[in-house]
Amino acid sequence: MHDGASILVLDDLVKRFGGVAAVGGLTAHVRRGSVHGLIGPNGAGKTTVINLITGLFHPTSGSIRFEGAALEAMAPQDIAARGVTRTYQNVRLFSGMTALEQVMTGCWLRRGVSLWASFLGLPAASAAWRASRDHAMHLLERVGMAHRADELAETLSYGEQRRIEIARALGSDPKLLLLDEPTAGMNAAEADAVGRLVHELRDAGLTILMVEHNMSLVTAFCDSCTVMNFGRLLAEGDPRACIADPAVQEAYFGRKHDADRIQALR
Amino acid sequence: METLLDLWAGYGSTVTFASVNAFFALSTYAVLSTGVLSFTTVVFAAVGGFLSAQMAGKFGVPLWAAFPMAALGGGFAAAVVAGAFLRLESHWMALASLALVLITRVTALNTPLLTGGVNGLIVPLRVEPLELALLLALCALVFWRLHRSWYGLAARAVREDAAVASTMGISPYRVQFAAFLISGVVGGLGGAALAFTLQFISPETYFIGIAFTMIASTVLGGSFHWLGPIVGAAVFTALPTAMQAIVPQIEDVAKGVVLLLIMIFLPRGLIDPRAWGLRRAARLREENERRQQAAERDAHA
Amino acid sequence: MQLFVEQLINGWALGSLYALFGIGFGLVFSTLGILNAAHGTYASWAAIAGYYAVDRFGVPFPVAVAAGVVGGGLLAVVVDQIGFQPLRAKKTGMLGALITSIAFWIILDSLAGFATGQQSLAFPATSYPNQMVVLGPLRVPQMQIITILALLVCTVGIYLLIQKTRIGAAMRAVGWNEVAAALGGVNARMVILLTAFLAGATSGLAGVLGGISTSNVSFTLGEGLMLKGFAAVVVGGYDDVRGTAIAGICLGVIEVFVAQYISTSFRDGFTYLLLLAFLIARPRGLFGSANFVRA
Repeated sequence: MHDGASILVLDDLVKRFGGVAAVGGLTAHVRRGSVHGLIGPNGAGKTTVINLITGLFHPTSGSIRFEGAALEAMAPQDIAARGVTRTYQNVRLFSGMTALEQVMTGCWLRRGVSLWASFLGLPAASAAWRASRDHAMHLLERVGMAHRADELAETLSYGEQRRIEIARALGSDPKLLLLDEPTAGMNAAEADAVGRLVHELRDAGLTILMVEHNMSLVTAFCDSCTVMNFGRLLAEGDPRACIADPAVQEAYFGRKHDADRIQALR
Repeated sequence: METLLDLWAGYGSTVTFASVNAFFALSTYAVLSTGVLSFTTVVFAAVGGFLSAQMAGKFGVPLWAAFPMAALGGGFAAAVVAGAFLRLESHWMALASLALVLITRVTALNTPLLTGGVNGLIVPLRVEPLELALLLALCALVFWRLHRSWYGLAARAVREDAAVASTMGISPYRVQFAAFLISGVVGGLGGAALAFTLQFISPETYFIGIAFTMIASTVLGGSFHWLGPIVGAAVFTALPTAMQAIVPQIEDVAKGVVLLLIMIFLPRGLIDPRAWGLRRAARLREENERRQQAAERDAHA
Repeated sequence: MQLFVEQLINGWALGSLYALFGIGFGLVFSTLGILNAAHGTYASWAAIAGYYAVDRFGVPFPVAVAAGVVGGGLLAVVVDQIGFQPLRAKKTGMLGALITSIAFWIILDSLAGFATGQQSLAFPATSYPNQMVVLGPLRVPQMQIITILALLVCTVGIYLLIQKTRIGAAMRAVGWNEVAAALGGVNARMVILLTAFLAGATSGLAGVLGGISTSNVSFTLGEGLMLKGFAAVVVGGYDDVRGTAIAGICLGVIEVFVAQYISTSFRDGFTYLLLLAFLIARPRGLFGSANFVRA
């Protein structure tokens, strides 16, 4: 298809847990510099795909290529080092860390100083630490959380925690950002802010793959999308076209004629 | 001055043993702070203890050289243990490390050439409480630096959620391996400190007793900050003395009950930075509300 | 040959005690995630309960055993409810319960010292079956046969309970994930109480039988069982009763044979050599399954 332009290519990806195939032969392409939606009904295998790409699970078969490199056998930390970071469906911040510390942890890969130098407190290391601190502060500003920098993340609201998680994922200057339902539990204004942020990041050159439930948000945020059901590809391409696809309609809202019959029964 | 000396005569040995236990607790904390529950500190202590005792006894090595040797020995043992055990899941890790403590004692019993076997070893050197305190202070300084460094940040991340930390580029294996090395060095120092305090060691010296003392000290004091193990060791070592003074008949029972009560009511230990943060957050919220109310009043006026 | 077989049975009976003790330890570790340092005290206290039942009330042997078993079980439930239950809501992981179990270990051991007057008591020889059973050329003490049968019954019983019954499925579910189990309609509290009771009861059984056959009723009884029972759990794999049973028997047989044919001073050394070999070669035990990684 459009391989030269694709930053991420999933080819016939399969993941089985025992006898159950959570992902059963998914093929998908994510274009560089786009916001790509990964959508589908509950239990379609979306989060499993994110876990496979980031190396938390390893696929049963099939391949994952990121900028031409095979990710399927790599450890999560090596995948992160290649420029793929993520957020989680249920916010997973570190307990006991302030907002700033969370984001600084995210800056691990760009700390630019050896652990020894950091331990000995060499001048270069102090400078690097300050630089990471400033970078983390800047990211917190970007998600509108700078005023909460020194507070324990677990004392903040759910929406605020989501934004800190996004800042943390941006800490290492990734090339591909995976957002797993970034707007879950947010009100409309907060969700809009996330949408604006996502577009800003894309305009700055980042590629974003996001799992999203809300169809109107998908059409508003995404340049293209992949629709999954039962671990398989249902449709791919322009979000509006995808959603209009009868197969997608059926997966989400049931069979047309079932719906008609229900209508008739009323 | 007189009373101070009396106090020291009465409780000096408690203070010395509290510092020795603080080394063991810090060694346990080193791995625990990366999410690994391991009893192998006892093994590192045995290596450090017997090594330094033999060096001092057979080769006349002075104290200042014996301690670094113990540290090196402990660190080397830790590298071996980490290589073998880190691939295990956490429950197995805990079991295996406890088993290794049992194995170490039997090994020490059956290698009299190295350890003196059942008869034990007389240690010709003695460490002064002040020297011990200095060494402990040095260790504390290292832990303080580590806490505020990139390593400290990574360790906390790996402990709280290793999977998430790995998706941020942090290798849990490498962080935990480093933690084991630190644990080995500090454990080795503790083993030597114990040898040079007791001046007699045998395979029974480095056994389950130390394992439970160090774990209890660490958890009691708090395993989320380097100060916790030191405070915990002081409390846990002083507890029997205190109980003996108050309820001499049932001192052990009372010690157990106190441990139980502290654990149930302060499960995160005496030193808990997270609790400070939560209190701070509550105070900030209150201040904000007050400020807002004041602003509203001003707007009305 | 006759000596060999007699020693084999001797070791088998000894190992059955280790296994009986280890089963409960492993059950609590795999189901409740607790490394229970107080497990040995259940055995000591069960033996003490059995001893006083005989000494004060002159009860027959089966009643003395029952007193020990029920006593051990109830003690385990009490320890669980006081020491472990308050920590479950606080998410202290393996550590919190380990500390409270150490606390109970210290308390119960020192109380056991008071209960026996700091000495080792022995069951009166008339209070238990102390005859020899003659099997062809062999003469086997009745207590050894009782011990071997006790392990067999307990292992099969607990294995069937865990694998074949609803409550057993619930126990496995709690072992995996307490929250998920609660959502799935499993009564977690019931499972916790049952597991604690079973562990205490089997430890108690090992305590009474061991107290009788070694003529040692004191707090050192539990500590001795703890070291060997723990080894059986590691070699056998803590999440499988069959493994613990087989490993326990093997450890007992090896111990007796090493003492008989090699040297008594190597007795413990061999046990731990085996332990080390298993830690390196088969770290997940005899029946150890593949490691699951959770994201």
